[in-house]
Amino acid sequence: MSDNVILHADNLIAGYLPGINILNGCTMEVKQGELIGIIGPNGAGKSTFLKSLFGLVPVREGSVTLAGEDITNLRADQLVKRGVGFVPQTNNVFPTLTIEENLEMGAYQAHKNFKKQLKKIGELFPVLIDRKSQRAGSLSGGERQMVAMARALMMDPQVLLLDEPSAGLSPARQDETFVRTRDINRTGVTVIMVEQNARRCLQICDRGYVLDQGTSAYTATGQELLKDPKVIELYLGTLGA
Amino acid sequence: MLATLDRRVLLRAVLVFVIAAVGVTAVLTMGGAAEAASTDPSAAATTTAATTGGTNIIAQNFLNGIVFGLLLALASVGLSLIYGTTGLSNFAHGEMVTFGAMLTYFLATQQPVSLPLIPVEFTIGLPFIPAALIAVAIASGLGWVQDKVLWSQLRKRRVGMVQQMIVSIGLSLALVNLIQWWMGGRPVRLIQAVDPRHQYGPIQIGNQTLISVGIAVAALVGVAFFLQRTRLGRATRAVSDNPALASASGIKVDSIIRIVWIMAAGLAALGGILLALYQQGMSFDDGTQLLMMMFAAVTLGGLGHPYGALVGSLVIGVVAEMSTVWLPPDLKFATALGILILVLLVRPQGILGKAERVG
Repeated sequence: MSDNVILHADNLIAGYLPGINILNGCTMEVKQGELIGIIGPNGAGKSTFLKSLFGLVPVREGSVTLAGEDITNLRADQLVKRGVGFVPQTNNVFPTLTIEENLEMGAYQAHKNFKKQLKKIGELFPVLIDRKSQRAGSLSGGERQMVAMARALMMDPQVLLLDEPSAGLSPARQDETFVRTRDINRTGVTVIMVEQNARRCLQICDRGYVLDQGTSAYTATGQELLKDPKVIELYLGTLGA
Repeated sequence: MLATLDRRVLLRAVLVFVIAAVGVTAVLTMGGAAEAASTDPSAAATTTAATTGGTNIIAQNFLNGIVFGLLLALASVGLSLIYGTTGLSNFAHGEMVTFGAMLTYFLATQQPVSLPLIPVEFTIGLPFIPAALIAVAIASGLGWVQDKVLWSQLRKRRVGMVQQMIVSIGLSLALVNLIQWWMGGRPVRLIQAVDPRHQYGPIQIGNQTLISVGIAVAALVGVAFFLQRTRLGRATRAVSDNPALASASGIKVDSIIRIVWIMAAGLAALGGILLALYQQGMSFDDGTQLLMMMFAAVTLGGLGHPYGALVGSLVIGVVAEMSTVWLPPDLKFATALGILILVLLVRPQGILGKAERVG
């Protein structure tokens, strides 16, 4: 393992129900500061893989390490403390809380830094600060996604896990989300994102992983995967090329 | 079109008739104010006072409704918090209400008392206020024990909500029988002295009830302050909104739920003590009978909404007491539950519940 590997998943076998494995040996190595895209067909286990990294799906075999330290099956709040942030695909805000309260919950473990962090996040998402007293339940899907990302960034995570951040958004909003993800990555945060919109995701990624039937089938740079005939045929399709 | 219009006219006519009927009855009732005898059980001992002053039965029953509503709110706010944070409809909450009153009696009475299976009689005889404080503290501890030993274990094993609800029904039956075994079947009175009522304009109220209302209001304001103004309270609301996301934000969800259980049990016990004072007694199954009113209040106010329990309880209390002006007292809780159905037909999410936008 090279020195600057921040997250390493080794041969993960995991699933929701006893006896039924969704992941059948997923391996991934992520270097500090990389932007990684995980793509694959429906049912390949992309979201399950991401959730297993965050302790939301029990890992039966294999291990996950963060900067060399074993974090397999740790509770979500313990992972947040160690610098891992997670943005779920759906139900990703606290609807009855205001935007400011949502962000406060993001900084729950470091509440003394809340005001400082709020100012910092405000520079990335100024619109959220303008509307900080608005209830998150009244926001649109794109705005909720913004609150969700900002919330996950409040703890200054080393690694940010995004589960289909562009799901359900219009093409323009999707572009905004990808650009924002790239911007967040440029501030030094390692980002691992699962995406259905594989072509757009690979365009901005440093590296992509292609999952197939619960195993990590290929890995290469985003640009290489975009040109790979097998990936094009199986996952990307030819229409959008 | 004609059918729609007809229905609208008909509805308006019915509404006018109901308002007129209420108005006429109110005027007639006010005329007979001198005969006003409150349905409040505490009035029984002071009927003379109630019939000699210029008490307005409508104002008096409204006040009784507010008092009952506030005490009901104290008992049901915990039920709402538990539902909000865990999704559990806790059928054993009523017994915590009874337990608070019974334990206060156990600690304060000058009569010899005993514990189940221990054939020794003794008298603790603490003054009332320390006894009540200790009872609330012990009940809160019991909330902690319940969650630690039972509910957190069931959550950890991912037992479904319906199954957990059935467990709570079983626990309720076990506790009510245990309380009966411990304290017997007769109602207990926490304070023997009669609370004389004083006339304030068109209403009468005793000092004890006034103090109870003050304590209830202070406790409810305290809960609101906790939920709105403290970090822990906001985290409780976050867990109530979305436990998985709360955990992903770094909140220790199980610790928050434990705090909610401690608070809920303590508030229920406090509600029980104040209700026992207000009703001048508490039987082993009073809390169990109150449970349906608590569920109604929580649902009416907006299921899982932190302030829904308060608003729902006040509505239930006022409707139940006001209905006795025109209807037999036996029907007062039926009327309150009728209002629940009506409100839910018009506003399915309850009074304070907010419809969420989708997408």
